[in-house]
Amino acid sequence: MIHAAAIATSVAAALFLAAAAAGLLGGRRSGLDLAAILSALGGVAALVGGGLVMIHGSGASRTIGATNVVGAVTLRLDPLAAVFIALLGLIAIAIGLFSRRYHEPGYGTSWYLPVFNLALLASLAILVAGNATFFLVAWESMTLFCYLVVLRHHRREGVARAAFLFLSLGELGFALIVAAFAILATRTGTLDLALMAARTHAVSAGWRDAAFVLALLGFGCKAGLVPLHVWLPEAHPAAPADGSGYLSGLVIGLGIFGIALFGFELEPRGPVWWGLLTLAFGVVSALVGVLYALMENDLKRFLAFSSIENIGIVLIALGAAMTFGAYHQPYLRTFLLIAGLYQLVNHGVYKTLLFLEAGVVEHTTGSRDMNALGGLIHRLPKSTVITLIGTLGIAALPPLNGFVSEWLIFQGLFQGFRIDNYLVGILIVVAGASLALTAGLAIMAFARAFGIPYLGMPRSRGAAGASERGQPIAGPALLAVACVALGVGAPLVLTLLDRVARATTGLDIHARLLVPKLTVIPGYTGFSGFSPTYLAVFLVCIAAVPVLIFLAGRPRGATRKAPVWDGGILSFSPRMQYTATTYANPTRVTFDEFYRPEHHVERASDDPAGRSGPVHYRYRVMPIFERYLYVPLVRAVQWLADLVRPIQSGDVNLYLLYILVVVIIAYLIYPY
Amino acid sequence: MFWFLRGIRKGVVTTRYPAAPDPSAARLPTPPAFRVDLLTPDLADLLVAACPPGALRRRDGELLLDLGACTGCGACWEIGGAAVSPSGEFELATRDRDALVKPIRIGGAT
Amino acid sequence: MTEEHRLATELKGRAFSLFRRSLHIRTFDSGSCAVCESELRLLSSPYYDLHRLGFFFAPAPRHADLLLVTGPAVRAADTALTKTLEAVPEPRIVVAVGACALGGVFTEDELVHGRVDAVIPVDVYVPGCPPSPLALLHGLLVAVGRLEEKVQTLDFDLRSAKVSA
Repeated sequence: MIHAAAIATSVAAALFLAAAAAGLLGGRRSGLDLAAILSALGGVAALVGGGLVMIHGSGASRTIGATNVVGAVTLRLDPLAAVFIALLGLIAIAIGLFSRRYHEPGYGTSWYLPVFNLALLASLAILVAGNATFFLVAWESMTLFCYLVVLRHHRREGVARAAFLFLSLGELGFALIVAAFAILATRTGTLDLALMAARTHAVSAGWRDAAFVLALLGFGCKAGLVPLHVWLPEAHPAAPADGSGYLSGLVIGLGIFGIALFGFELEPRGPVWWGLLTLAFGVVSALVGVLYALMENDLKRFLAFSSIENIGIVLIALGAAMTFGAYHQPYLRTFLLIAGLYQLVNHGVYKTLLFLEAGVVEHTTGSRDMNALGGLIHRLPKSTVITLIGTLGIAALPPLNGFVSEWLIFQGLFQGFRIDNYLVGILIVVAGASLALTAGLAIMAFARAFGIPYLGMPRSRGAAGASERGQPIAGPALLAVACVALGVGAPLVLTLLDRVARATTGLDIHARLLVPKLTVIPGYTGFSGFSPTYLAVFLVCIAAVPVLIFLAGRPRGATRKAPVWDGGILSFSPRMQYTATTYANPTRVTFDEFYRPEHHVERASDDPAGRSGPVHYRYRVMPIFERYLYVPLVRAVQWLADLVRPIQSGDVNLYLLYILVVVIIAYLIYPY
Repeated sequence: MFWFLRGIRKGVVTTRYPAAPDPSAARLPTPPAFRVDLLTPDLADLLVAACPPGALRRRDGELLLDLGACTGCGACWEIGGAAVSPSGEFELATRDRDALVKPIRIGGAT
Repeated sequence: MTEEHRLATELKGRAFSLFRRSLHIRTFDSGSCAVCESELRLLSSPYYDLHRLGFFFAPAPRHADLLLVTGPAVRAADTALTKTLEAVPEPRIVVAVGACALGGVFTEDELVHGRVDAVIPVDVYVPGCPPSPLALLHGLLVAVGRLEEKVQTLDFDLRSAKVSA
């Protein structure tokens, strides 16, 4: 079976490459379609490959030759990476189907499609990399291709800046990742990941700590860890919809893959503070992400912040797993690893769906501003249903996938009492409480993000003129089906993830995870349990009860139908509705110490009733991280650069002096 | 502190209407009633002109009092002297609008 | 009125006795000066105490049995009035209260109809300007059939025994 998986993955890589080549013909409809189909087929192959590895439950690796540039290239199929490969496959299928109708054939498409498929190929390469150099080369190429993806509409305002932020923080992350790998490689004497993993226990604690922290921060740059997240809300909206979906669904997942790689494979026996540090980052990211998300009126920026929140949740799970591991709770460690991976897969599915749908909305209404949308349920009925499923998933409502994975994470965190250190146990419970706060705020945020654009009346002419003709449905619909399947079919998903976790941590908790009657238990019997499948069936049956009552109790006599009582109003104006800004106002007021908004009110006259003209109200949430972290940092670097600038004076005589000085020093040192 | 004691001391203040007549009814502004024998055509014309809401109208030898339009302002009995007085009737609700237009015979000598 | 009309009205009155001891009233102001509304408000005071009769004011026409209209039916409120009436479920009673609503005070012009029954059919008329709370109570009790109408028997002749002076 592993052989078949290897073939499937290679086929996927070949198909992505072929799609990239076909994309060069994207100036014509046929080229665009061919590239999209090839990309989707590549996704199928990747899904199959990843799935086969997960079913098989263990990996394999192969070394290919040795070139002088990168040394030996080792490819491996690892169950942990297989989860991400399968996710990549699913996303690629959906995006392939989506891009057929989303993109217009033309010059821009003809360079965008190859770049996008090469990004997919690079991501696949990261996931099959078996040694450090190949991993790093693949990582950097993925960053560069994603940078180009973000630059698709480079002539639009703000896109170049967003892409630059993406690249600069990506490079910062890359530098840290290189440092981490360099430390481990030099200390263990090997570049091969499997060998590295076998030898890290011999590395001294100080180096291991350094490597882990560098990896956490470096991969955290890519994952969107707060405070390294500032590129996310800029870059994801700037990219086209399928690019945003891919970036948010998979690329930040690759950051998590890196953290999981270091935390569970390469350096599995870490001290407690590693887990607590990750947990802390997770809590902060989750809260900051959702709080800023609530203030965003731009649909795509909102989704970007929501991605930060979900990454925070995954990191909470992984951090708690590491903490439990350090306190000799292996079952909970494995359980929370499974929960974290599940949450990440779910996020990949519903976030991609939501970004694709945001692209549809932007395409058909011309606006991403929630305050300009409304009433799309009547104009885009199928898209509304698909978006609703994605929204219910991300808001973690039963019986969908988000609910299952968040339930698992909560159940893991609730078992903090099994740790014999009171302080750490309390910290885990605090993390659980923060997660609960995040989940509550997320429900409000998504009620707003679905209700304001899709329900009610259109708030602008663009929204009123939206239509579903020619809009992509198949891709997002596939993801919606996946949302439901991942929720209702949770026992199946957990079986696969359990095999992954067994391969990664060496512990098989199948008996402590899935009990008969399709019930899921959190690592220990007698603590809690629920069955996602039966819950779904139950909810459907419950929904049938009012329908049956209505059908049975319908009045037989003459009925008079009267319109809904609306207060006797003559006509409704869209201005009478909630706006996105006002819906989030309670949060803005409650957390205003965090937001510190700047209000700006402009009146046409001093008449307090505003009778002489409109009143303009602007508010801006204070960008804490930009103002207090990045701007001082950038200023410090600029100050340092100014200090050093005199060295490069441009004066040839000075350069000759440098050469002289260096030669003299070389002569002085040489004898030694 | 014991606010309800104040209420208990005051006793029941609710009117017993409709079971028993309400004493405040005597002071209500009500539509006029007429001494038909003292009502002359000239007086009738005067009353018609003087009624602000136009509740009094002439029709042949009769004065029509539209109870539905009457506001109880009292202009008519200020002019009419002994011929017109407040009737004291306030229970005037009806299902039939036309029943509110009462003919008053003009019986007085010219 | 014709015998048929009288019979129909009486039948309707008997049907309305469904609401004898439990009536929900929705008020509608179609351009009144708000003095009738003041008197209506007094009905909830301890002195008149509407609730002892089982009558309540409803927050929306959907909850109402009886629609109580004041004011001379300004044209600007046409849509609102018809919509409100439509929203009251049958069986329903419509009561017009005050001289304005009954056609006195204002005549028909481009701003008002002058009388409420030009817009919606009215079941019970309560005269007065404003009708005192006692007159309103009488009107409501007549509407639900707990009291008999009295005005038919009055002739406003001071010499006869049928007018209390």
